[in-house]
Amino acid sequence: MAEGTISITALPAARIPARRSPMRRWLGHRSTMGFLMALPLIAVVGGLVVYPGIYAIALSLMDRRMTHFVGLHNFARLLERNTFQLVIFQSCLFAITAVVLKAIIGFALAHLMHNIPTRKQRAFRGFLLIPWVIPLALSTLVWWWLFDPSYSAFNWALNKIGLASVPWLGQPWWARFCMIWVNTWFGTPFFMIMYLAALKSVPEQLYEAAAIDGASAIQKLYLVTLPMLRNVISITVLFSLIVTFANFDIVRILTNGGPLNTTHMFATYAFQIGIQSGDIPLGAAVSLFMLPILAIASYFILRGITQRSKDAY
Amino acid sequence: MSTASAIAAAPPSARRRHASLARQRRWALWGSYAALAVFILMFLVPPFYMLMTSLKSSAEISAQTGNPWIVHHPTLQNFIYLIHYPPFRRYFWNSVWVTACVVTVSMVISVLAAFSLARIKFWGSNTLATGVFLTYLIPESLLFIPLFQVLGALGLINSAACLVLVFPTLAVPFCTWIMIGYFSSIPKELDEAALIDGASWMQILLKIFIPVAFPGIIAATIFAFTISWGDFLYPLAYLYTANQMTLTVGIISDLIRGDVFEWGKIMAAALMAAAPPVLVYAFLMDYYVAGLTAGATKG
Amino acid sequence: MTRSAPLSRRTALKLAGAATLPLVHIRTAGAAGKLAVGFWDHWVPQGNEVMRSQVKAWADKNKVDVSLDFIASSGNKLLVTIAAEEQAATGHDILQFPTWEVQNHSGKLEPIDDVVGRLEAKYGKLDPYFEYLGKADGHWRAVPTSSGTQYKGPAARIDLFKQHCGIDLQAMYPAKPVHTPESDNWTYDTFLKAAEQCAKIGKPFGIGLGTTTDSVDTAGSICAAFGVQFVDAKGKITVNSDNTRHLLEYMKKLVPFLPKNVYSFDDATDNRMLIADQSALIYNPPSAWAVAVRDAPKVAEQCWHFSPTPLGPAGRFVPMLVFAWGVWSFSRNKSAAKDLLEFLMQRENVQARCSVVYGFDIPPFDSMLDFDIWNTAGPPVGTVYNYPLRPFHQATRWITAMPAPPQIAVQIYNQALPCNMIAKVTQGGQTPDQAIAWATSELESYVG
Repeated sequence: MAEGTISITALPAARIPARRSPMRRWLGHRSTMGFLMALPLIAVVGGLVVYPGIYAIALSLMDRRMTHFVGLHNFARLLERNTFQLVIFQSCLFAITAVVLKAIIGFALAHLMHNIPTRKQRAFRGFLLIPWVIPLALSTLVWWWLFDPSYSAFNWALNKIGLASVPWLGQPWWARFCMIWVNTWFGTPFFMIMYLAALKSVPEQLYEAAAIDGASAIQKLYLVTLPMLRNVISITVLFSLIVTFANFDIVRILTNGGPLNTTHMFATYAFQIGIQSGDIPLGAAVSLFMLPILAIASYFILRGITQRSKDAY
Repeated sequence: MSTASAIAAAPPSARRRHASLARQRRWALWGSYAALAVFILMFLVPPFYMLMTSLKSSAEISAQTGNPWIVHHPTLQNFIYLIHYPPFRRYFWNSVWVTACVVTVSMVISVLAAFSLARIKFWGSNTLATGVFLTYLIPESLLFIPLFQVLGALGLINSAACLVLVFPTLAVPFCTWIMIGYFSSIPKELDEAALIDGASWMQILLKIFIPVAFPGIIAATIFAFTISWGDFLYPLAYLYTANQMTLTVGIISDLIRGDVFEWGKIMAAALMAAAPPVLVYAFLMDYYVAGLTAGATKG
Repeated sequence: MTRSAPLSRRTALKLAGAATLPLVHIRTAGAAGKLAVGFWDHWVPQGNEVMRSQVKAWADKNKVDVSLDFIASSGNKLLVTIAAEEQAATGHDILQFPTWEVQNHSGKLEPIDDVVGRLEAKYGKLDPYFEYLGKADGHWRAVPTSSGTQYKGPAARIDLFKQHCGIDLQAMYPAKPVHTPESDNWTYDTFLKAAEQCAKIGKPFGIGLGTTTDSVDTAGSICAAFGVQFVDAKGKITVNSDNTRHLLEYMKKLVPFLPKNVYSFDDATDNRMLIADQSALIYNPPSAWAVAVRDAPKVAEQCWHFSPTPLGPAGRFVPMLVFAWGVWSFSRNKSAAKDLLEFLMQRENVQARCSVVYGFDIPPFDSMLDFDIWNTAGPPVGTVYNYPLRPFHQATRWITAMPAPPQIAVQIYNQALPCNMIAKVTQGGQTPDQAIAWATSELESYVG
């Protein structure tokens, strides 16, 4: 049914179709079609995220025994704690550093891959994807084993070339470094394939036009590649930020927040005071602390993407 | 290549310029190979170590002598044990069928929703498009608690089927956004031409959008697959019995007993757990590339 | 003539090689209702098997349809399950609760004074330690069990102590019910000297100051031995005292003799050190030794366990970790659940389970300390005789942060406050007063 288009040829009066029932007319509307297509999404998100999400937010506003409503008291209590202030600092440091590194390295890798002939790419692609493909809970165990104080294979190698053993997870800044390193190792392949897909869809003519105008490689990058990739970059960075802020596995397995609480992030601290210490509302408050900030950031970034898509056409 | 024929037809001075360009391109090519090789080495250090450890006996792992980067007395014992261990086979099978279902469900939901949100305007579509992404803001480590209640009410606790319901919540929002991006970049003239020819929206979706946006679909599929294959927290919270567990939670629960870690077996299991995604992606990426080259000629 | 049941290498090989039976539900003919039970997944597979057969026997006799799951503690699965089930008010009828979980969830646990009362009448009164962790609002909320309950006292190398520290462990704590004069000499001063001597030969004590439970337990027992109290039973912060300063001065002397990476220790670091022949003494239950029997027999046959920690100015305090079985208040078959728990805690059943786990499990009742397993497990035979605390050891069962109100104590424990306080002095270079000030402000945020 070609509803929604205006036929150029005028319909002869005699061929006006009979009136349809309201139901059929509603089904025939284009916007209804759109709504029905989006319905599975709405159902999944509504039932399995929105409802539990509201419950989770309500939890964070309750007292320990979950009998009274205490508003933002949990958040106020948390901000007084020195450990929580450390958590905020560490989470921001970890998330921002790791995401920036992943984006840059992923972008560089995508470019390098783009340069080599397509046939040869397969092996490289396969190998470079491996960190992302091994389940994180398992690969973090391997890293932990590699950092282990007595068994570290890294330290063995360092000792062999005459350097002292590094207390990988034993000193605050080394521990933070290790966590960022592991997260970057894990997340870069994701950025790489997203950017590679986007790079491949940039029309070759744009580069040729720029070359004719005398643009250097860097200028091409700046004037052609980055603007075309803006949407993909925005969305991958936003997604990665959200997910990296909420990271649980890496911290929990590698350091459990130590040494001296210097690697605690929101999710692990929430686990420690929520589930382990039996104050689930307080734990919920920790988990949701970044929600307002990330929500605002998401809103603006997504709106920017939608506007740019609309402007283009 | 059009440029090659253009070069051949150009005057001598232009040909010299093009020749040095070709030399530049060759340098760039070899430089790219070298840089990629370096990255591969760095990325593959842990998997290499995993491989070495998986070939060691537990006595060799516990002792601390010698080079940990090579195996002194290689043994396939860990792999053999796991292959013959019924629970491990069960974990593997569970991961496979759960992931297959999750990917299918997620892709269907995302593609339909993305098509609708990219092309069709209905009341609330803008809010939905932005809002759906906000579902990531409540972390798994908190959401699993109220979700337990929902799944308990549905009677799905301790059944791998609950994962088919829950994993799409992690994959669908992002996949939808990727697809919206790809669909938006398809020129509207294509749909209008099809509509004039009398195609329905479903036909437009199937015959035009999906083929043209194929790289995006592949990327989204890979994403959904990885999320479903590797997630740990939800299976940890919802599955108790070994015959329902997936690989990640099964390996952790079964091969780490108290404070006793069976490192050789854990590494072997992790390698076997990584194999299917690598194979699937190698396969998918070929289609992806084929789709890209087909799309490129459309300009 | 005692029947010898040494831990032969072949038996120990079963430890890892035993194909755990598929962990499926047991379904028995159920006329008297259903019961869903979740027990801790014992690291010794045979422990689970004996438990399974006992539950099945009970279920068959009482015609109850029992489904039994073994839930691992690795990956925090057990904690996650407990938290989720309490919130959702649905799940198993019986769960196994580690250490603090009974207090954390006491509101939703069914009072079980009847079962505990009958068991106490039969087997003797339970130690205040179990009451502290198991009783809330005047009622027992869970039954302390043997499965998984452990001490985290010293396990040390006989040969190294004899050669380098001049201490004969087997004479100090022989496999006999006798209090020796040498054990009176096992004080923190002796400990410090021995630590120095073992550090000199490159086999330091494997004691951690990390964030995991092993480190917190150890630190807590040392604190208690020095009379350090963080928060008293009424909730008043009492960490600022001379005892605390005295403790911190002692730790300043001890830590240099401990491994460099002491602040990043996790629960298995000390196990690995012992098995790799890198440490002369660790604080651990027999799990490390059991793995050594399989992987490093030469080390294993020199291991001697003795739970009594060194004697400090305030006494001898031994870290203990207890598991307890509780019934959710939303359970629909409470009487059957209680009946099952009482059955499983009968002496013969406890003994059957303890005998297959190399003596690791500790029954909560003193009258059950005469099981044969602690006499016969080896090599070396008698190594776990002094692992369960016996009356002649003159030691107290302890959990870090006792006697603070449990909801404050659990935070002190989980946030590793004792370890962090000590580390502020030994790693962070602060003075004892600064560390105490930091601890006080932390405690204020837990109490407030």
